[in-house]
Amino acid sequence: MEKEELAPHVAEISRVLGNKVDEKDIWKEMETYLNLYRVSLETAKRSVVRKLGGDPNALTKGVRKQLNDLTPAEQSVDVLVKVLSVNRKEIETSGETRQILYGIVADETGTMPYTAWDAERFQMNRGEAVLIRNAYTKEWNGSSQLNLGTRATIEQEEPDSVRLPEGMDAPSGPSICKVAELQEGMNNVHIVIKVLSVEQRKLETPNGPKTVFSGMAADETGKVQYSAWHDFGLKKDDVISIHGAYVKSWRGIPQLNFGERAEVARTKAPALAEADLAKPKLRSLDEMERVGGAVDVLVSGIVVDIKKGSGLIFRCPQCNRLVQKGLCRLHAKVEGQPDLRIKAVVDDGFGALTAVMNRDITEALVGVRLDEALKEAKEAMNPEIAREQIEQRLFAKALEVRGNVTSDEYGLMMIVTEARILVPEVRAEASALLSELEASQ
Amino acid sequence: MIAREVAWRVFAGEYNSSRLEIKGEGERAPSYVVSPLGAMINRVFIVGVLTDRENLGTEEEPLWRARVSDPTGTFYVSSGQYQPEATAALSKIDPPAFVAVVGKTRTYSPEEGTMYVSVRPEKVTVVDARMRDHWVLETCKSTLKRIDAIGAATEMEAPNLEELVRLGYPRALADGVVRSLSHYTDRDLGRYRGMVVDSLKFLLPEYQGEAEGEMPERLAESAEEIEDDEKEAKAEEDKEEKVLATITALDRSGKGASWDEVVDEVKKAGIDKTELEEITNSLMDKGMIYEPVLGKMKRI
Repeated sequence: MEKEELAPHVAEISRVLGNKVDEKDIWKEMETYLNLYRVSLETAKRSVVRKLGGDPNALTKGVRKQLNDLTPAEQSVDVLVKVLSVNRKEIETSGETRQILYGIVADETGTMPYTAWDAERFQMNRGEAVLIRNAYTKEWNGSSQLNLGTRATIEQEEPDSVRLPEGMDAPSGPSICKVAELQEGMNNVHIVIKVLSVEQRKLETPNGPKTVFSGMAADETGKVQYSAWHDFGLKKDDVISIHGAYVKSWRGIPQLNFGERAEVARTKAPALAEADLAKPKLRSLDEMERVGGAVDVLVSGIVVDIKKGSGLIFRCPQCNRLVQKGLCRLHAKVEGQPDLRIKAVVDDGFGALTAVMNRDITEALVGVRLDEALKEAKEAMNPEIAREQIEQRLFAKALEVRGNVTSDEYGLMMIVTEARILVPEVRAEASALLSELEASQ
Repeated sequence: MIAREVAWRVFAGEYNSSRLEIKGEGERAPSYVVSPLGAMINRVFIVGVLTDRENLGTEEEPLWRARVSDPTGTFYVSSGQYQPEATAALSKIDPPAFVAVVGKTRTYSPEEGTMYVSVRPEKVTVVDARMRDHWVLETCKSTLKRIDAIGAATEMEAPNLEELVRLGYPRALADGVVRSLSHYTDRDLGRYRGMVVDSLKFLLPEYQGEAEGEMPERLAESAEEIEDDEKEAKAEEDKEEKVLATITALDRSGKGASWDEVVDEVKKAGIDKTELEEITNSLMDKGMIYEPVLGKMKRI
C-alpha cells in the first residue's frame, strides 16, 4: 500500500491511542500486518490498536447513509445498495495495469455511479444487494461518485434488503433501450435487436488483425448500423439481446458497438422476429435533433424554404463538385455537366432538416426534366428558372421524405431516397382530436 | 450549433398575447418572442386569410402592411425594401386570399411594459383552403403540446429544462416553458384550450356556423347558465347566418355588398344597426367576411 494512502489510517490509530505512541511505531506495525501478513486493512488497524493498548472499537466506522444524502466529499460512508450494472476496465497506474469495476448502484433514494478500484477484491454482481463499508465520494463530471478504495469492504446482503422504486429495479441491468433512443456517447446499453444483415471486415489494429462484423439491425422503433468487435456468430434474422453495448457516431450517424465484454444472447421475441422492419416508421424532427441522426428514417414536415443551390446546377466532370461561374474549386475552368437537385428545408414546427434530393427525385416530384430545364433556362437567359418552379411546386407543401439523417454544426441533413407530397386528411383527424379533448374535460 | 431556427406553429391569439422578448446578445445571436405557452419564437409559419394589405411607403421604398387572420385572431405582417422577395409577392396578391407566410418575429414597445408583436415575412405565397385547414390542425396539435408542457412544468417543484426534456418535450419548448412560467403569472390555460376546441370545430362541417363562444368563461359557469348561453349562442348563430346570407345576396357586382343596403335588409329580420355591427365584427374576426373598401362587406 502506498504511503499516502496509509497516512490517514496511521493518523487515526494515533488519535485512538491518545497520541501517546510514536507514529513511527504505528507505521512499522501497520506495514508488518499489511505487507508481511497481508491481512485486510480493517483487521490490521484493529490488531495494531489492540496490540498497542488501545480500544479498537474507538476506530471510526463509516456512517450509514442513503445515496440521496451523500455529499461529494464523504470520507468514510456505508451504503446498502443494489448493483444495477458492473463493467470491467483495465487501467494503468504507475506503470502497472490493473482491473477496476465501475457501474451504477441504487437504493430507494436514487442511483449513483461507482468505481471499485480493485476488481479482485470487490465482487460485484448485477442484481445483488451489497453493504459497502468505508467508501468515499468524489465529484466527477459534476455529480457525486461512490469510490471503493483500499479501506472499503463489501458484504453480500439478502436481495430484498434493498427495495428500489418502481421502474428502477432492474436485476437484469439497466432498462432496455430502444433503437430510436440511441445517441452518441451512450454506454452500457442493454438492447434487443433483430439482425438485418451481417458483413465481415478485416481490420489492421495496433494489436494485430481483427475481424469486425457489421451491418444493419432494427427494432420496432427504427434501424441502426452496428459493429460487433468480436465473433458472436451473428446471422441474418437473429434476434439478440445485448448487454454492455455502446454508441459512437460514425459519419454523423450514431452507431451501435459491442465488443467481447458485452453479453450477447439469442432471445425469443416473437413480435420482433416476425415484424417487417424493412419499412421505416415516421419519426419527429425534434427527436432527430435529440439523437443527432439515424439511418433510414421517415420524417415529414412543411417545406419552408428552397435553399440556394437548388434547381439547375453544373458539376465538374472530373470530381462532381459544384461549378460556379464556370470554375470548379479543384479543377479551375471546366465544362460543367448540368444536373438537377433540391435542397429543401423541411420543418415540422419543433425541428427542421435540410432534405437533399437528386435529379431523379427532383424530376419525379416537381415534374421538371433536366433537358427542358436547360432549354428554358437558355431561352429565358435565367438559370434560376428551375429553382423558381421548384419553389412554386413545393413551398408550404407537406412533404414526407425517407433517407439517412446526419448532423453537424449546421443542423440536420437528409440524403433523400424517397419523397412524396402529402395530401393531408384533415377532417378525420380534427374530429378524433376534438372527441378526445371533449372526453378529457 | 448554428442550426436553422424552427418555424413555430402558433395561433394569432397566442402569438399576440406574447409580452416577453429575449434579446440575443452578440452580433448574430437570435432574439426570441416567448409566448404565454412557452413557444420560443424566432421564426413562424402561418397560413391564413390575407384580408387586406396596403403600401404605407412609396413605390421606391415600399412598406407593405398586411393582416392575415386565422380562427383565433389576426397576424400583423409588415414587409419593406429589405424583404424584396416577400414585398414583391405581397404587392401582387389581391385580398382576400389564402396565404402561407414564413417570417421572423418583430416587436414594438411604445413604452415600458407594453409590447406588440408582428411578423416580418421571408416568404409569402398563395395557397388553397386545404392547406389552411392543414395548418389549423397542425397548430391545434402544437398548441396542445404546449398546454401539456406548461401543465407538466407547473406540477414540478422546481420547473427545469432537463426534466421537461426527459419527459419528451422538445428542448426549445422546454426552454421556453421555463422562461414563460416565471414571466406570465396570469396565464389562463382554459382560454387556449378553448382556442383549440373552437379551431377544431372550425374545421368540421357539422359545427360550421356555430358561434365560437367564449369557451373558457363558459366552463366556469353553472349548468343552467351554460344552457342559457347555448340558447343565446344558437340565436346568435342564426343571426350571423342571416347576415352572411344577406351580404352574399346583396353582393351583386362582386365588389361587396353596400353597408346601407345590408342595414335595411336585416332590419326586416329584427336586427338593429348596433347588433349588426357586433355581428359583422364577429364575422370579420372569424375570417368569414372582410371590408374591401369602406362601406362594403364581402364574403371570403
